[in-house]
This record gives sequence, structure tokens and C-alpha cells, in this order.
Amino acid sequence: MRMNRRFFLHKGALAVAGTAAIPSFLVRSVLAETGAAPGQRLVVIFQRGAVDGLNVVVPYREKNYYSMRPTIAIPQKQVIDLDGFFGLHPSMAACKPLYDQGQLAIIHATGSPDMSRSHFDAQDYMESGTPGVKGTDDGWLNRALQAEDANAALRRRCAGTCEHSAFRALALGSDVPLTLAGRVPAIALNNLNSFAVGGRGPAPSTAASAFEAMYADSGDHIFHATGDETFEAVKMLRDANPAQYQPAPGVEYPNSEFGNSMKQIAQLLKANLGVEAAFTDVTGWDTHHAQGGVNGQLANRLGDFSASVAAFWRDLGDSAENVTLVTMSEFGRTARENGTGGTDHGHANAMFVLGGRARGGKVYGRWPGLDNDQLNQGRDLALTTDYRAVLGEVITHTLGTDNLEVVFPGVRLDPRSFLRLV
Amino acid sequence: MESLKSALALVLCGTLCTPAPFGYGQEPAASTQPPRHAHRPAYQSAQLQGNERILQALNRFTFGPRPGDVDDVRAIGLDAWFEKQLHPTTIDETDLNARLAQYPAMQWSVADLIYRIPSNGMIRQAIDGRMQVPARGTLHAVYENQMYRLQERKTAQQEKKQAEAQTSAQAPAAKNAEPISSAAILNQLDQLDAPTADNAPAQKAAAQPMPDSQSSDHQSAAQGTDPLTDRQTDNQALFSEIAALPPVRRVIRLQSMQPAEFDAFVKSLRPAQRKALDDGLSPDLREAVADLENPQRLLVEELMAQRLTRDIYSNAQLQEVMTDFWLNHFNIYLRKNDEMPYYLVSYERNVIRPLALGKFEDLLEAVAHSPAMLLYLDNAASIGPDSPAAERAKRNAWRNPKNKAPEGINENYARELMELHTVGVNGGYTQADIIQAARVLTGWTVDQPQRGGGFVFNPNRHEPGSKTVLGKKIKQNGEREGEELLHLLAARPATAQFLSRELAIRFVSDDPPQSLVDRMARTYMSSGGDISAVLRTLFHSPELWAASDYRAKVKTPIEFVVSAARASNADVENYQPLENALRQMGMPLYGCIPPVGYKWDAADWVSTGSLVDRMNFALNLAANRLPGITVKWSPYAQQPPAQSVGMLANPVSEVDDPTPESEEARLAPLIVPGGISEATRAAALQQFQAQIAQDTSFVRPVSAARPQNRAKAATVLERQDQVLAGLLIGSPEFQRR
Repeated sequence: MRMNRRFFLHKGALAVAGTAAIPSFLVRSVLAETGAAPGQRLVVIFQRGAVDGLNVVVPYREKNYYSMRPTIAIPQKQVIDLDGFFGLHPSMAACKPLYDQGQLAIIHATGSPDMSRSHFDAQDYMESGTPGVKGTDDGWLNRALQAEDANAALRRRCAGTCEHSAFRALALGSDVPLTLAGRVPAIALNNLNSFAVGGRGPAPSTAASAFEAMYADSGDHIFHATGDETFEAVKMLRDANPAQYQPAPGVEYPNSEFGNSMKQIAQLLKANLGVEAAFTDVTGWDTHHAQGGVNGQLANRLGDFSASVAAFWRDLGDSAENVTLVTMSEFGRTARENGTGGTDHGHANAMFVLGGRARGGKVYGRWPGLDNDQLNQGRDLALTTDYRAVLGEVITHTLGTDNLEVVFPGVRLDPRSFLRLV
Repeated sequence: MESLKSALALVLCGTLCTPAPFGYGQEPAASTQPPRHAHRPAYQSAQLQGNERILQALNRFTFGPRPGDVDDVRAIGLDAWFEKQLHPTTIDETDLNARLAQYPAMQWSVADLIYRIPSNGMIRQAIDGRMQVPARGTLHAVYENQMYRLQERKTAQQEKKQAEAQTSAQAPAAKNAEPISSAAILNQLDQLDAPTADNAPAQKAAAQPMPDSQSSDHQSAAQGTDPLTDRQTDNQALFSEIAALPPVRRVIRLQSMQPAEFDAFVKSLRPAQRKALDDGLSPDLREAVADLENPQRLLVEELMAQRLTRDIYSNAQLQEVMTDFWLNHFNIYLRKNDEMPYYLVSYERNVIRPLALGKFEDLLEAVAHSPAMLLYLDNAASIGPDSPAAERAKRNAWRNPKNKAPEGINENYARELMELHTVGVNGGYTQADIIQAARVLTGWTVDQPQRGGGFVFNPNRHEPGSKTVLGKKIKQNGEREGEELLHLLAARPATAQFLSRELAIRFVSDDPPQSLVDRMARTYMSSGGDISAVLRTLFHSPELWAASDYRAKVKTPIEFVVSAARASNADVENYQPLENALRQMGMPLYGCIPPVGYKWDAADWVSTGSLVDRMNFALNLAANRLPGITVKWSPYAQQPPAQSVGMLANPVSEVDDPTPESEEARLAPLIVPGGISEATRAAALQQFQAQIAQDTSFVRPVSAARPQNRAKAATVLERQDQVLAGLLIGSPEFQRR
């Protein structure tokens, strides 16, 4: 059972929120010393429900792929070829230019080494960053920010007076996911257009002031802390007015929940609110039944997914150079289709890393093959890359985390073994 | 440790006890009457007493106290109140039933619902000619309108540019050529059993020809020269004409419109006009109009409205809390497919609510047989790989490889049955157990789901042979195998632990003491899985009354929204603002996609975004800014205008000249009976005074001296109260229960 995450969400020593939207210049200059690129932002997308990686990044040269998936396989003619062995699902077309431009790196046969086929356990393991260990109450991304705070160079530089924006860790959604939960304050918001109390206007409403006083003086530590974070964020949002940042000309986000989330993350990034880590999730991947092939259920989800990600990337324009986006899902799906035109819970999966500085245009990871004796437990794609190695490499190069043991306790991540995809 | 204890209990039972009912482990302890003063010194010093004890019960076993509830419970005694809550059929629900009478369709069978309030699937069948469109009456028009809408959507997708031209060409053809007589329509209306007071005169009126409306139809159709403005003017005139008709004639007029005309008409209506169309309609007629407009929306709106009606107004609150609990435990997602909203009506009404306080095994059985669950977790499509159906498919595939239909096991339900419904993820099962359980359940499917059919066991799809689940051999026995499996799972000690913990988290604390969970689990085992007995054990456990847990649970969005409506004695006619609030706060009704359901602990529900939403909801609810929801705060506003004059003639002393302090002292205990902190009080008072300062600039404070000032003064006071009440509902104290 997960403990109350909120109990961790009080203000940390370094987490005194600033009053204006002048976020990370301090952090930036400090990070420059630590080997990380300055001003980098990390966007994490969780595909909840276990996306069928074998039909997203299709190993179209594998004979067994076609024999195991008689009704849902993507025909060779219709995959979007990547490297002569793998090809993208045709609904992922919007992402192909990003691959061609060398910004999209794909890692196949990756994921969590834990064997759980429970969505909920596997999501928790993946988000906590401690596969197989229950009861971890904070998430890897929060710990990555903690590690950034603990970074010796950073502490020396600002002598404990570093200011972090209230938007430093942000979730687009109605709650703070486990990935972002922990000591570093994180905020969640659904819709930045309605993120104000008692009406939007140039000045706070009187009711908002009353609530602010009420929560500020409350002895209820959870609501006291959340109230502080809330009013801080509301103020910053009012000052920065991110709604003024409309999508770049020619960029159209899909009119979907996910498209809307990505659009709002772009607005918040453009508004320079000091976002360092942003998280959102997208559901609808649990395709047990009639998942379809070139068309159908999964194809529709992928169409929305890839169009949203591609729109986000084009929308960011030049500033995408400082942004890295990572996708993950709790596990893959069975290599064979099941009896009802779908796939059941499997093991390894594909991840995307999209970044201005990514060494994209390549499918990374050792391919384990799909022969019967190559499958995990005779049914799933085997795992050859621990997802923590991928994330470890990404956060080292973005957030400037120099202590990966804090972020992923219990596993020794050797930077020399990284895939060198960033 | 626990398994050791259970094993010991079982051994003891083998020698000492009478055989356990239903094969559950039996405990020698008299579980139905657990010791009131268990040996637990740690709790004795910090047990809740008096009003706090009553409030704890109301906060945990209801959707929040209404003004006056504490006194009512004190009057009958807390223990007696709880026993009554465990027996919902003994509770008077006159008020609730009057409100539920607004939704007559919610009593229909699924097959009736899906036929009379057709799903998109039904409409597609009608378009493809796979089902006969009802020949006449309201229902005929409902189908025609929907077929038109669906085809319109298709056309619009196919050719955006030519859509306009096709609309005018298609519209006359889409309507059935056969003219419908008013008498036939009336017959159909009668079948909808709509006995309203004004039926008789209306029928007479309707029997006469309706020349003006007919001709205006033709006019608007003929003068297609354009312009939007013309059409808008037409529709406005049409609205005035239709709104003026008596109820039955109004419905007849609406159902006799051509689909295209009707579509344009309803789209042209402003919300207030749409509402005016319903004025004076009986519930059946109101449903008929909504059916003509958008059947799927009608269905979902009523499903949600009846649920929230019960949550807010039912006196059998524990039954509703437990219904909410089990709907979440056995979660089903509303939008899984076109038919799911229809099946959810009966799932909640016939499966969950009547069994919410009964035996868990009965509930588990009913859920397993419910088309809603069979479809949601895909068991309806699961086929035994060696079953006759699969063999036939293989032969067909061999003859014609292109014909290959997928045939086989789907393990989705079998997995969640163990992981989420019974033993829990640590319940000691393996992947092999899941596959075996899935084989056991092959053949459990739904008869004609697109037509709203029921459960059916299809022996052709059932996997032959015996299976072994959790070490227990289940012999080949058709449908009975599944029942054996469900019994096996319901009787596992792991299930007792899993359910007891979940209940303790819902009712006691986010991290409930293991001692409490163990005690509840023992009752579960000894009572044959009796949910009421487990709740009784919980109620009589000192852990529930620990002062440290007083108001310690953070309200989930539904608990917050419903408790706010209850605390403010809101009169809700329109539930949409509440549904929207729940969606915004991340807890849409029937809207949890994964089978795990929503979490009960605070972690998931306290965030910056949801706090903003809660504050705004509080302010809007208190200030009557949610359409269709009325709250009244000042004592003057409590009465209808005619009576308020009399009341003001004899004013009660403390409302005579209310001060901020007196209003705060009056409202705070009504809204937050558990009390508020000094900080909350100070902030609320300050704001209240600011509102007064604003108001006094144009109206003098309340003075009883001049009667003509009183109405104005009452309005001002009400506005001030609204601010105060909004702040109280949005306060930190109100976020907990």
C-alpha cells in the first residue's frame, strides 16, 4: 500500500517559491558547472494501460511476428521503415520526421525488470523507480530533483538561497502522480485557463485572499502546504498569463485530452514559469479485445498520441533544443495475439526519447528476437535494457543529477553502460 | 502470521465448531456481537465522546451531515441509528422517492432502455436494416432523428463542402413517407404512460388538426434561400409557438417535426429556452422530449442524476455509501462501449445496491454474471481454445484461411477477479492460476449485447476438462465451474483481509491498524462473508473512535461535492454542475477507466489544481451560481416570500439585527458542525465584513423598522451569507471528514 504522498509535499529547505516568474536562471548557471546542459527541461509521458510496443515499433523482419499475430500484425508494406528492420505503425507517421531529423531516439525491448503483470503494481514500480519494492512513497522524478538540490556544486553556488519556481515540478492532471510525488513540492493542474479562485482577473478576488489567509494560518499541515503551493502558483500564472502563448502558426493539436495537455505544457514552458520537470499521462492502451491492426482501436490511440507529440515539438520551435521528452508504459503486451483479437499483459516494451540534443534517428537496445525460445516465459518480448538506465542517462544530461543511487536506489547504474542516446 | 492464525482457527473449527456455513473458516468467537470494550488500553484515553462521536459516525457512514442530523442521531441513540442504517428497507424514503420519480426510465429493463432510448449501435442497426424502425409515435421520431444525426455526421466527415447541399436533399427522404395521424401519436404517448393532469383537455385539443404548425413547416422547408438569420428568426418564432402549447401538444408538435428541422430547431435554442420547453411536462414527457433530442445523453444524464439524488437525499446513507464503495471496488467504465451506460443502470440498480450490505459471495456472483462486468473485462469474448466453438473456427480457417476469426482465451477478467475483486495482488496466485481461472470462466458471456441482452452460458465456448486454481481441482462441470471458482475465492482468508483493509481505509483511516483489519477479517470468515457483520465489527471497534482519527480522512471529490450539497441543504434540480465539478476534480462518475477504481486515501486527492476547483465550487454553490441548484442561507430566505413577511413581523431576536459574528455563529455550526479553527473564522469574518462594507454603500443595514426595506435588506444579508458560506465550504476543515 502506498503511504500518503502528500505528507512529503511540504516545502523543502531549497523550495522557497519565488514571487515572480524569474525561475531557473540560478539553476541554469549552476548546472553549467555540473556537466549538464543549462536550462534543460524534462517532459515525461506515461502511457497508462500498457501500450503494445510490438505494434508501435514493429520488428517487421521477424517472421515470427507475423505468425504470432495473424489478425493484428502490421503488414510489411504498411510499416514506416526506420532502419530496415523496425518500422513505425502507420498511425505514428507524424513522428517520422522527428526521427529523420535525428531528434527521436527509440529504445526497444526495454522496461521494468519486475515480472508483475498487474497494471497497478507495475505502474507503481515504474513510477517509484524501485521495481519489486512496494511502499516506496516518492517517485523517481521527484528524487531526481532532490538529487539536483543536493548537488554539491549547486549548493556551493547559491549557499542555500536557491529559489525554485512553484512550477518547478508540474503535472498536467488532477493529481500529482507517484512519479512526481515526494519532498520537492509538485503542483497539479488540469486546465490553466480555470486555475484561479473566485474568477480570473488582473487582481486576486477578495474570496481568494480570504482563502489564502485561511489556508496560510491553518494548522492542517497537508492543506496548509497545498494552500501555499496553490496560491503561489495561481499568482505566478496570473502574472505570466500563459494563455497568451497560442500554438505556433500552422501547429494544430488534436482536440483530445492528451492533445490539450501537451498544448498546455507547451504554453507553460513558453511562459518561462520555471518548469523543470513536467508530467502527463495518456490512457486507453489496454487493448485486450479487438485492438485492430493498421486501423482500429490502437491505431486511433496512436494517431492521437503521435499527432499530439509532434504538434508539441513543432510548437516549441527553437526552444525544443532545451527540452527532452520521454515516454514509458508499465509493461508491454504478449507477443502473440490473444483469442479476442487483442493482446494480454506482457513484459518488455518500447520507449521514446525525443530531444533537441538526443542522438535520434536510431533504434537503440539489443533486440532479443521473437523465436519461441527467445521470449520471456515463452510469451512476451524479453527485456534487454532496464528502463532506469534510459532514465538515468536522460536525467544526468537534463536535470544535472549527479547521484543516481538516490534516484534509483538498489540498482547500480554505470554511466559507461548507458546507450549514449542523449 | 495471519495465515497461521487462520489455519489455527480452521483447525479449532475442525474439532470444536459446527460446520462453517458456506465452507468459510469458522471462529469460535461470537462475532456478531463483538466485545464492546475490547482489551485495548491504548485507545481508552483518547476515545471520541458525545457529539464528536456522533459526528465521526455521520462523517464516516454517510455522505456528510445535514443540518440537524446530529440532533436526530442523538435522539434515537448512535447504536440504534447504525443498526437502522444496516437495514435500509426499514428507512422512510418518501422524499427521495419523490425526487427519483423524475427519472421513470431508470426503472426499465436494459432491453427496454436500449430500444426506447436507443444507443448508437441500435441506430446503426436501424440504418443497416438489421432492425425495424418503430412504426409510429414518439419512438418513430426518436429513431428518425437519430438516423438523421448519424448520417449527417457521416456525411459531414466525408464531404465537408457538399454537406449543405446534401442536407436539403436528404432531409425529406429521411422522414418516413407515411403521414402520422395525431391519434396514432397519442396512442404512442399513452403507451409511454404519461398520465398528466392536463392530458384530457390536451388530447381534445390535439385531436383537432394543427394547420398553422403544418404550414409553417412547409414554409421553412420551402424557403431555403438561406440566410442563417432567416432560419434563426424562424426558429425563434417556432420556439414561441411551441413553448406556448400545452404539454402533450408540445411533445406531439416536436415529434412531428422533420429530423432536419428538429435538429436545427433544438440547436438554435438558448439554454433558458431549452429549459422552457420542459415547463409543465410530466417526467415521462420530459424524457420523451430529451429522447427526441439526444437519447444517449438522456440515458447518461439520468444515470448520473439518480445516483447523485440518492447520494444527497437518501436517508439510507450507509447503503448509498456502500453502493459507492462497491461500484468502485467492482469498477466499470461508462464509455467502454455504446451499450455500457445501459448495462450500468441495471448493474447499479439490480446488482450492487441490493447486495451492498449482504453476503460478499452473493455480490461477487451477481457481478460475475452481470453483462456490464462480462463486457468491461472482456470475458464475454473469451473462448476456450479446445471448445467446440474454437474447433469449428479452426476448421473454417483451414477451409478458407481468410475467414479466420480470432478464437481463444481472454485473461483480463480472470486476472482482475483475483487481483482487484477478491484475494488481492498478494493473494498468492500465479500467472498459471489466472489462465486456469480464465478457462473456468469461458462460456460466461452476454446474449445479444447490442440489444441489451442478459447473461448466458454458452457451452460451445466453454473449455473442456478439469482445471486447477490455487491448488484446488475444479472438475469439468460447465457453468458450475465458475460458481465453484467464485466460492473458492470468496472464502479465502486473503479475500477477508483484502476487503477488510479496503473497508477500513474507506471508513477509518488511510493507514488502518492491522489489529482492526484482523478483527474485521475474522468476522468475515466466521459470518460467511457477511458485509453487514464486518461493518458492525468495525463500528464496535475502538480504532474507529480514536480521537486521533477525528476528521482525519480527506474527502474524495465525490465526498466533498455531495457533503457540500447536504450541508447546505441544496435543492438540486439539475445535476450537471455537480457532475462537471467531479470531472474537473478528477473523479468523474462511472469515469474511472482502469478496473482498479479510484483510491480512497488522501494522497490522490489533495493537489493544487483540485484545491482551486474545490474553492471555486464552494463559492459557486453557496452563491447560487450553479444553474438548477438552489441554496438559501439567511433565515429570511428560508421561507417563501409570502411567509417571510409574517416572519419578519415577528422576528426572532438574533436574526433581527444580524452582525457578522451572529451570522458566523449561526452558519458555521450548520455547515461545519465539527467546528472551525480561529484562522478560518477570522478569515471568513474579515471577508464577510468586506462584503458588508461594499453593500452598505448602496443599502443601509438591516433594520426592522420599515417593512419596505426588509426585502432589500434580506437580499443584502443573503449575499453576505453566501460569501460566508462559500468560505466555510471551501475551508480546510470542510475538506476532511
